[in-house]
Amino acid sequence: MWSWGSVIGETRAVDIRSLSAGPLRAYQHQDCGSMTFLEKYKDEIADILSRYPVMRSALIPLLYVAQRDQGYVTESAMQEIAHLLRLTPPQVYETITFYTMFNLKPVGKFHIQVCKSLMCALVGSDTVIEWIKVKLGIAPGESTADGLFSLSVVECLAACGTGPMMQINEDYYEQLTEGKLDRILADLRSTGTSPLKSGPFMWPEPVTGKG
Amino acid sequence: MPETTSQMVRITIDGMTVHVPKGTLVIEAARRVGVMIPHFCYHPKLKPDANCRMCLVEIEKMPKLQTACSTPADEGMNIRTATTAVDDAHKSVLEFILANHPLDCPVCDQGGKCDLQDFSHQYTATSRFVETKRIFQKEYFSPLIETQMNRCVQCLRCVRYCDEVMDVKALAPVGRGTMTEIKHFGSHPLDCEFCGGCVQICPVGAITSRLSMYEYRPWMLKRAETICGYCGDGCQITVQTKGQELIEVNSAHGAGRNNGDLCARGFFGFHAASDPQRLTHPLIRRDGRLMQTTWEEALEYVAGRVGEIQAAYGGQSVGGLISGRCTNEELYLFQKFLRVAVGTNHIDSSARYGHVNGLQAMRLVQGTHRWTVTFDDILDADVLILVGTNITETNPITGLKVKEAVKKRRATLITIESLEPVVDTMSNIANLSHHHFRIPTSDTHHAIVGLVKAVLEQNLTQPDLAQRHPTYFNAMTSALQQISWQEIQTATGIEPEAYVRAAKAAAGARRVVIVAGQLLLRSEQGYSGCLTLFDLLLLTGKLDGPGCGFAPLAEENNDQGAVEMGTVTELLPGAQPITSGTERERIAKQWKSELPTDTGASLIEMLERARAGSLKAMFIVGENPVGSLPAAIHAETSLRNLDLLVCQELFLTETAAKEIRSLIPGYSSLGPTPLPPKVDRSVVDRYLTDGYQRDLATRYHPIPRASRPDGTVRLELTQSLFHSGKLSTRSKGLLQVEGSGRLRISPSDAARFALSDGDRVRLSSTSGEMTTEVKIMERVPQGTAWFPYHFGQAAVHLFECAIDPITHVPSFRTATVSMMKVA
Amino acid sequence: MPKHELILLKNMMQPGYTGSLTDYEKTGGYQALRNTLGKIAPADVTTIVRKSGLRGRGGAGFPTGVKWGFLPKDYQGPRYLCCNADESEPGTFKDRQLMERDPHQVLEGIVLACYAIGSETAYIYIRGEMVLGSKILEQAIGEARVAGYIGKNILGTGINVDVWVHRGAGAYICGEETALLESLEGKRGLPRIKPPFPATHGLYNKPTVVNNVETLANLPHIITRGPEWFAAIGSPPKSTGTRVFCVSGHVKRPGNYEVPMGMTVRELVYEYAGGMRSDKPMKAFIPGGASAPFLTPAHLDVKLDFEHVAAAGSMLGSGGVTVMEEGTSMVWAALRLMEFFYHESCGKCSPCREGSSWLVQTMRRISAKRGRMEDLETLLDLCKNIAGRTVCAFGDAEVAPIQSTLKHWRQEYVDLINEAETANLIRPEPVGRP
Ligand SMILES: Cc1cc2nc3c(=O)[nH]c(=O)nc-3n(C[C@H](O)[C@H](O)[C@H](O)COP(=O)(O)O)c2cc1C
Ligand code: SF4
Ligand code: FES
Repeated sequence: MWSWGSVIGETRAVDIRSLSAGPLRAYQHQDCGSMTFLEKYKDEIADILSRYPVMRSALIPLLYVAQRDQGYVTESAMQEIAHLLRLTPPQVYETITFYTMFNLKPVGKFHIQVCKSLMCALVGSDTVIEWIKVKLGIAPGESTADGLFSLSVVECLAACGTGPMMQINEDYYEQLTEGKLDRILADLRSTGTSPLKSGPFMWPEPVTGKG
Repeated sequence: MPETTSQMVRITIDGMTVHVPKGTLVIEAARRVGVMIPHFCYHPKLKPDANCRMCLVEIEKMPKLQTACSTPADEGMNIRTATTAVDDAHKSVLEFILANHPLDCPVCDQGGKCDLQDFSHQYTATSRFVETKRIFQKEYFSPLIETQMNRCVQCLRCVRYCDEVMDVKALAPVGRGTMTEIKHFGSHPLDCEFCGGCVQICPVGAITSRLSMYEYRPWMLKRAETICGYCGDGCQITVQTKGQELIEVNSAHGAGRNNGDLCARGFFGFHAASDPQRLTHPLIRRDGRLMQTTWEEALEYVAGRVGEIQAAYGGQSVGGLISGRCTNEELYLFQKFLRVAVGTNHIDSSARYGHVNGLQAMRLVQGTHRWTVTFDDILDADVLILVGTNITETNPITGLKVKEAVKKRRATLITIESLEPVVDTMSNIANLSHHHFRIPTSDTHHAIVGLVKAVLEQNLTQPDLAQRHPTYFNAMTSALQQISWQEIQTATGIEPEAYVRAAKAAAGARRVVIVAGQLLLRSEQGYSGCLTLFDLLLLTGKLDGPGCGFAPLAEENNDQGAVEMGTVTELLPGAQPITSGTERERIAKQWKSELPTDTGASLIEMLERARAGSLKAMFIVGENPVGSLPAAIHAETSLRNLDLLVCQELFLTETAAKEIRSLIPGYSSLGPTPLPPKVDRSVVDRYLTDGYQRDLATRYHPIPRASRPDGTVRLELTQSLFHSGKLSTRSKGLLQVEGSGRLRISPSDAARFALSDGDRVRLSSTSGEMTTEVKIMERVPQGTAWFPYHFGQAAVHLFECAIDPITHVPSFRTATVSMMKVA
Repeated sequence: MPKHELILLKNMMQPGYTGSLTDYEKTGGYQALRNTLGKIAPADVTTIVRKSGLRGRGGAGFPTGVKWGFLPKDYQGPRYLCCNADESEPGTFKDRQLMERDPHQVLEGIVLACYAIGSETAYIYIRGEMVLGSKILEQAIGEARVAGYIGKNILGTGINVDVWVHRGAGAYICGEETALLESLEGKRGLPRIKPPFPATHGLYNKPTVVNNVETLANLPHIITRGPEWFAAIGSPPKSTGTRVFCVSGHVKRPGNYEVPMGMTVRELVYEYAGGMRSDKPMKAFIPGGASAPFLTPAHLDVKLDFEHVAAAGSMLGSGGVTVMEEGTSMVWAALRLMEFFYHESCGKCSPCREGSSWLVQTMRRISAKRGRMEDLETLLDLCKNIAGRTVCAFGDAEVAPIQSTLKHWRQEYVDLINEAETANLIRPEPVGRP
């Protein structure tokens, strides 16, 4: 009989000071003269690893670091992370493809994700998608020719009371109207960010003085 | 937790009462009373995953239907598998599973042995599915394996097998929901151990072998059970033929000690037997050319010539060499023929290449030349010590037992191997090891000495040993005092604490099994290394404890048979010493014939005698000394000097075939063995009294400082997972995975010598040189280069040969060679 | 407006409240921690929580104190607390507010829970999209660490609790507790078969408690004001305390409203959320997130507590109340949710994996006016064949929209199919040769 306990036993914690990208990686990179992912983020990686007793737990956090670096997770980053965590590359690959937030291909500088779930749909998210399609000339899954914007249609992002909403890169934009959308797109084009993004969330706002 | 215990519980299945160990899964308990619960994702080798939901049953007092595959039996459970609710559930799950299935049974290789087909038939499945089916691209996983993901039922048995049993983890379920498909990583074809496990375990036709694609329907095939001849593991296989053609080899769950698991050689290597170059006629050399002839003529010719030589020079002028791949019957007949008909004791076999080292050590210390442990003792061990095994490549199925012991049964693993613990899509036993000593093969002995030293210094010895055998104990203590930790650390690169930790683990365990592999047995310290391992067992009191023992692994599948049948010169059938008067008498009486009186010559001595002219004729069966021995032995010159050389071979080898024998035999030394013998206590006592003295000094002495000159690497002839024996290089399947011998070097050496994959290098030593391609592999330790033995005919000439003075084993598997890149 | 005392949203409703450590301390924050650690035995903390009647706010409503009690008493190795901040259930957005506006309230709850169960490590598994939330939490953890509320030797008591934020990466199923654990272990978020339960074999196979953000945020208050106080709020004895209901859809003032359990839907929607956004009457509502079956205006007086909502044929779930006005197509609404479930089914078990794709395809067909009357029976039959036969509760959830809309608004389906038939969009072909 299988012991249920062996689920985790596979991974053994290692001393994070002795991290290495593995001899082969080091060798390959030396070949092409670039810094390895590991070298570049050594401290951050060590910090992430220090939070978990079992290394594999650091997989998703490390994939985020890799995605931040390139905008998407490259095959070599997956290999390097696999090596670091003592996993086989297929183990990294199976995990990464389960989650929707990782890009395996490059995306635009601003990745627009509009929620289309029921709650947002009740308050007009389909219209928002149409607006964006027209304004940017792209359909969901596509990017603008200048590489600035990509559009995705996604499921609920926990802003149902303040829909329609979208997320662009790390920021939420809620209670969208056409005017607001125009401003956001213009802001992003000109300054790379927009003051219309949501701050710490609270809705409804407490009734202030005038009551 | 649902681990089975010895406690029995009573459960009822469809009204039948059955007693099973508590924790037995309901699906297994049902099987015992003949109730087959339908299932896809369940497999007895795998942890239950309960993902297909096909095995739902009713269990009294439980509100919902339960999965029989994941529910452990508990006292008083009342299970019903034949109610309408259950039947309805089975039908509906089947309908779901069929929904996206392409129903391309007419062109599916699984047709006729497909679980989905069978259950659909059983439940007269109908489907209301009218929507569009999902479609995946067909994927050519590799030249050997193809996937048809449209057929996949997502039970993940392949992925789980690859991880849980093989520890390979080459397969990935990619994506989510219905669009999940089984893939591998990267743009190159699948790169794994090619054990064929995923093909075998897939309940439908989603993963199939490309070697037999579209060639058969299961009912066209004739099946025969036999034993795989590729290595010493001796796996049971089912050979399937259509007419005269070999179509497929597989192995049924529960079959043989491999329990249905195979390696690449067993699963994909079967084409060797039907290689067109196979000899089909006897050949006789006339005027320097081999000419086809008839069996009658060949046999007459051989008989005549042997008669002449025997008459002229006596039986002593004839010798014989046979492969440890032959059956016991063949081996027995061979030695009887030579001993009785020809009258010579000059008999040897491939067991001489290393197996004899382990054998002689076992005989000397424990009084029996056989394992005192069983295969199952490996599974049950608390501590396993692997020494020079390269087990995942050399004895992959024994390797699976080790993996199971460590992964499922939590044995502690100590490995002394020339292996870097790197994770990739080939399993690596060092990854499972708790105490890994990464040591070049040539220094293995120093590491064993380190363990022995730690045992003595940390007082981990058996309590009463010092009183019962003070001379042995004191001799050991003082011998090891002369070796400093400093020396051991310099020689092995491993700090003393590591030895202490491992020694403590071994001494503190109840069941300890030491597995010695070919890398140790075939090395210069093959014999002494085994004795030192015995010292470790003796000192810690683990030699004859229950479940404890020493297990040398054979490379050829019947090396042990060769020993038992008396096809090594020093032994008579029954593995009795040829020097024993009583045994000679007994055998002579049985054979009704006198035995030759001389002690006989071993392989190397035979070759020497041939060169010197005193040996005139040789029979060689399935062996190739010219190709496998280093130049220093001058095998070719020796054989040329013979008046008569008779070879029995499947193919023309360098040794030059003159006859042909039939297809590979099927028998394994280690097949279903009777109870293993016990350690003979009186022999052990004798060893502890004076037996140890003979070579104590040669085994324990200060370690000389050795340094390798710059620009050199330590060359090791190693096994390859994809090849074995003399046939695998004729198998098209295996050649597709590994088509030629490439020198495996470590990434750091690649950098040191400015080499990339595929570059050519020249290796040279004082004995010779060769040119080959390199392959960079992270598991190769720095400073070491591996060359696969099976492509090693050119490489062999780089090695010096040392001959063990006691066991006469020639060792030639490591050498220091200089390496240079060539254009 | 509130006619009752706020518990969880109280601080943040104060003007100028930033959620910083100082702000939180000013409102009495971390007093519960000071008064508990080393002063009340961990087992007694569990007893207090059990007595308060607090039930999980994540969806299943399991009594929190009872769940803690399942941890093995004599187990020596590490134990873990996982704060479930995955909040992915469509219609739910309360945890986001609790974390982003008053992170210390959650953190104090986490440390208290760790103390009670003897855990030295807690992971906050927050959905990957909530980047801001994770940053706010990280910052708050930093503050609390400096102030000695988190880390080694908390407030000199010798008690250690480390809290880490772990971001998910986009998978609804990772809200299911065992999928969450798998995901936290760096694997695909596939639910595990139970038993064994996380209480004995959880994160890294160690005893583990998974609790929702809102559940944990209640703890400091229960400790400070006593279990009796808490147990008297709401709809005792089975549904005690308040709930933060997330109102969305066609209402005037959608948003989070904290009210005692047992309030009627009518009150919540018409008094708190300002009623319907236009003059159209209400047609349907979902009382507990996407997984809860739809109810009709006939259920407006159902009390929002675990028992009453269940008795009405739905569930209180995560507290997401979604309101739909007259004119909303129920087939369309059910399809939208079905699309969600199809997208999010992890794919582990066949009924859910295959069933969700089958259901969604059939629903798409019906809604595109290509349906057939038999489809309705097939839909119901498929729903029946999925529910209760899967590894996790997702299977039960995904069938809720279709089952409940078919129950209450079957005519809408029939109308669409009738239209299809009159438009002659499907022409059943005779099988076989003429
Ligand atoms: C499909 C599915 C999704 C879930 N999603 C969440 C979620 O997003 N947040 C949450 O707190 N609980 C969620 N749960 C409930 C959890 O499994 C678990 O019951 C809960 O976190 C326990 O915490 P509680 O006892 O504090 O409620 C989900 C359950 C299921 C079956
Ligand atoms: S019910 Fe659905 S989500 Fe839950 S484990 Fe099964 S397939 Fe996954
Ligand atoms: S065999 Fe039990 S769920 Fe698949």
